[in-house]
Amino acid sequence: MHAPLLAIDKLRTYFYARAKRAFIRSVDGVSLSVARGETLGIVGESGSGKSVAALSAAGLVSAGPGVIGGRIDLHSNGVQRNLLDGLENYARVTEQDGRVMAVEKDERGWRRHSDRLMAGVRGKEIAMIFQNPRSALNPYATIGSQLVETIRLHTRLKGGAEAKERALHWLERVRIDSPGLRFDNFPFGMSGGMCQRVMIAMALCAEPALLIADEPTTGLDATIQSRIVELLAQLKTETGITTILISHDISVIQRLSDRVSIMYGGTVVETGRSSEVLAPEAKLRHPYTAALLASTPSAEAIRNKSYLQAIEGEVLDTINVPPGCRFYGRCNRVTDAIRDQCAGHEPPLGEVAPGHQVRCWLYPAAHESTA
Amino acid sequence: MKLAAIKPVSRVLLRELGISASLLLGVSVVVFAILYLAPGDPLNVLLGGQLPRSELALGMREALGVPRTWYGQYATWLGKVLQGNFGNSIRTGLPVLPELARVGVNTLYLIFGSLLLTLLIAVPIAVHAAAHGSTPGNTVATIVAYILSAVPVFWFGYIVVYVFINQLKMFPLISGTATKQAHAWLYFLVPIFVLGVASGTLAEMIRHLREELSRVLADDYIRTARAKGAAVWRHAFKEGFLIPVTEIMSAKMPFLLGGAVIVEQVFNWPGMGRMAWQAAQDRDFPVIMGIALVAAAFVRLGNLLQRVVFTAVNPRASKEQGP
Amino acid sequence: MRWRRYLQTPGPIGEYSKLSLWQRAEPLDLVYIGYGLLVVAVVGVSYLLGALGWLPDDPQRINVRLINAAPFTPGHLLGTDFLGRDLQARLILGIQAYFLPGLLAITISVAGGSILGVLAGYRGGWFDTIVTYFDNLIDSFPRLVLILLVVAAFKPDIYYVMVVVGITGMPVIANLIAGKIAFLREKNFIEAAHALGLSAHTVILKHILWFNCRALLVIQATLGMAEAILVETSLSYLGFGVQEPTPSWGNMVQAGANYFLQGNFWPSTAPALAILATILGFQLLGDGLNNLLEGKRGK
Repeated sequence: MHAPLLAIDKLRTYFYARAKRAFIRSVDGVSLSVARGETLGIVGESGSGKSVAALSAAGLVSAGPGVIGGRIDLHSNGVQRNLLDGLENYARVTEQDGRVMAVEKDERGWRRHSDRLMAGVRGKEIAMIFQNPRSALNPYATIGSQLVETIRLHTRLKGGAEAKERALHWLERVRIDSPGLRFDNFPFGMSGGMCQRVMIAMALCAEPALLIADEPTTGLDATIQSRIVELLAQLKTETGITTILISHDISVIQRLSDRVSIMYGGTVVETGRSSEVLAPEAKLRHPYTAALLASTPSAEAIRNKSYLQAIEGEVLDTINVPPGCRFYGRCNRVTDAIRDQCAGHEPPLGEVAPGHQVRCWLYPAAHESTA
Repeated sequence: MKLAAIKPVSRVLLRELGISASLLLGVSVVVFAILYLAPGDPLNVLLGGQLPRSELALGMREALGVPRTWYGQYATWLGKVLQGNFGNSIRTGLPVLPELARVGVNTLYLIFGSLLLTLLIAVPIAVHAAAHGSTPGNTVATIVAYILSAVPVFWFGYIVVYVFINQLKMFPLISGTATKQAHAWLYFLVPIFVLGVASGTLAEMIRHLREELSRVLADDYIRTARAKGAAVWRHAFKEGFLIPVTEIMSAKMPFLLGGAVIVEQVFNWPGMGRMAWQAAQDRDFPVIMGIALVAAAFVRLGNLLQRVVFTAVNPRASKEQGP
Repeated sequence: MRWRRYLQTPGPIGEYSKLSLWQRAEPLDLVYIGYGLLVVAVVGVSYLLGALGWLPDDPQRINVRLINAAPFTPGHLLGTDFLGRDLQARLILGIQAYFLPGLLAITISVAGGSILGVLAGYRGGWFDTIVTYFDNLIDSFPRLVLILLVVAAFKPDIYYVMVVVGITGMPVIANLIAGKIAFLREKNFIEAAHALGLSAHTVILKHILWFNCRALLVIQATLGMAEAILVETSLSYLGFGVQEPTPSWGNMVQAGANYFLQGNFWPSTAPALAILATILGFQLLGDGLNNLLEGKRGK
């Protein structure tokens, strides 16, 4: 059994609301893993912590206190390393009754240390693409020069001419028309879809081991979205690249991912193969997943003329995290038998089927996994 | 990283040039209005030669070709100004513009030298604060900058003179006119130091540069640069450094010109500032008018240059790309 | 190695945000504001003392036996100048030179700037262009040079000068107000007010200026006073303001210059420190208030 390419273990990333003197528990003990060649989808609403988890893995969290605990193991090129190695020297967490009451962090020191750890990793082993591609590109530089910069940094091509050639090759691969002309274009004149293609090219031209795509289709027009999704699917087949795909759009996740993790309120509430988790007729699933699926229009739902069901309540405020299950306030499948448990204790992740875990008191686990 | 396409840039520049020209026209109107409304009829002096008050009959003025209407006078006056004829100094009788050019150079040294010095102090503090947030170090530096910005520059000048010239005897005590000696240029440094440190623009420079750089560093495209392992500074340079620095330089130019008037007084520096002071003392209209016009022109020039830099760096300014 | 501490409030969350603005402010800003208010109070009181003639000593009384006395000499709290005149009295009297003229300058700036800002922001279109042109025009002149021109053309009257200072202060205020209006417009605030049937008059005066811009205007008035003091002291240093023997802080520094270079620092330094402390006070007050009231709310 191969070790996973990336294994995130009990990651905690907190922010701080000065006005309220309280922590924002964006990522509160998240464990994920993605195997080589696989695409892991992470689904959740805004505020669920999915983007922050990805940014933490890439070492891009700059607000305080930031990453305060956990392990992120990257297994690539025969080397295994913990990207959060040494964090305990820079962050001291004081807990009381399981709640974090104080954090002391040497932010500058940690950032310097982290930058050193991530030096050969960012861009080369782990590449990232973002939402809003037009603002993610440097408006003052041509897209060609931005591509060439990545190529010269992370591949063996150091010469200007060779790098340009490789850049043009990649522009073609992401289906940009007249790459020769586009090379000298600036981002402001290009459409969102085109900019996202450039971002993809920029991420992949260094041939990284892992691609993290943070909401790559959000913000684009619907028709363009499907094109980008198709492009990603094609590139996945062509290159076999391992991907972590983050989105709140279930259809995108369904199309592209092999396994999926559902996040809510800063924790993973369900994880398993997408065919199992997202299948409409699945019985064993987290109530949140069920609610998400019910609120998304699908071809079948349209055919049956069934109503979309909205999820009651509001997204969890990760400042005021309640004791007990985080979804309790909005759950529509609570039974009297488990009500006290749901309200009082947070359920652990339990396996309901091989490779399929759910965090819910409806499925008391035969054995509890620690992932 | 290339410059944006050249042709559209020149079109934008023509527009900027036009705006500058119209502003300079406005400047001339303001100066003319002040002269026109002033008691003692200074315009008479300028337009009709060095003749005293208009009591000497309207007829005589007309005989000398001074128009009667205000727009006539404006036109004549503007015509002379554009030809470089600013009249003659009442005090010395010398033509104003050549004299200004002669001493203006000294003021230019002073201005640019002190601008450079202020930047040299402001930039490290601003960059450090933007990159690392508020540390005790840069908070103290900022407070010191605030204090320095409120220090009366003339008093600061005396302190510097006392410390460096009287006590430490580090610099020779010669004025700028006797510039034949080899070490004369050292003496330039003292007033530059004074104006550079105490011009009153230091605190705001730090604040502006820090704000802009912080804003850029938090922008999406910098995050992308970090994510791909690229050197952040190279990406942040244009918008976070070059543009704000040129902006603040051109914005603070008027203040430095004002500060130069005072510093030249302290050091008896033979520049435009001291000439302005002298002219104001003597009610020497042609000179002070000339200085006002030249100073305003200089400010507008600085502004124009800043717009040039902005346009050259900013691809959106050209707007001539395919869809 | 700087360790930052983050503390979670032990009680229920949400209570902390109920604290007032003052309690949530950055401590440094509170220091700035505190110092600034202190300076304003001292200046205000001293102005009144000077205006009423309640001075500790005769500011013109020459006492050749006690020249260049240091501070805390009996009878002279702040020492004496090179003619033995009491410095404390002279400093207090010196405030007269800039206090009322400064008020004139900031009144002109605030009133004129508001009008221009409202014209540009509220009416927009051509008005915006004209006001922008006017702003750029005013900004083209170095203030001191313009003042010298006015002084040469008219007379070295501080009130004329302050009119100029007031006018040169208008563009900044106009810009800020136009910006605020653009902000309110974006929030559909103005549209909503019109929909409620409020007259333009009311919308502008009450809602825009008073409710939304008053903090801004107070801050700009404070900063404007700092500028006015700078101008007045520079001008009287150059010899254009109040003339000897009437004291003004600027001419006091100038008069003491020769003695300074001979080693008698105090006659020049006392007024210079007064200038420093006062300008700093107004500037810090303005900046502190700006950070508190107009700055980005704490993260």
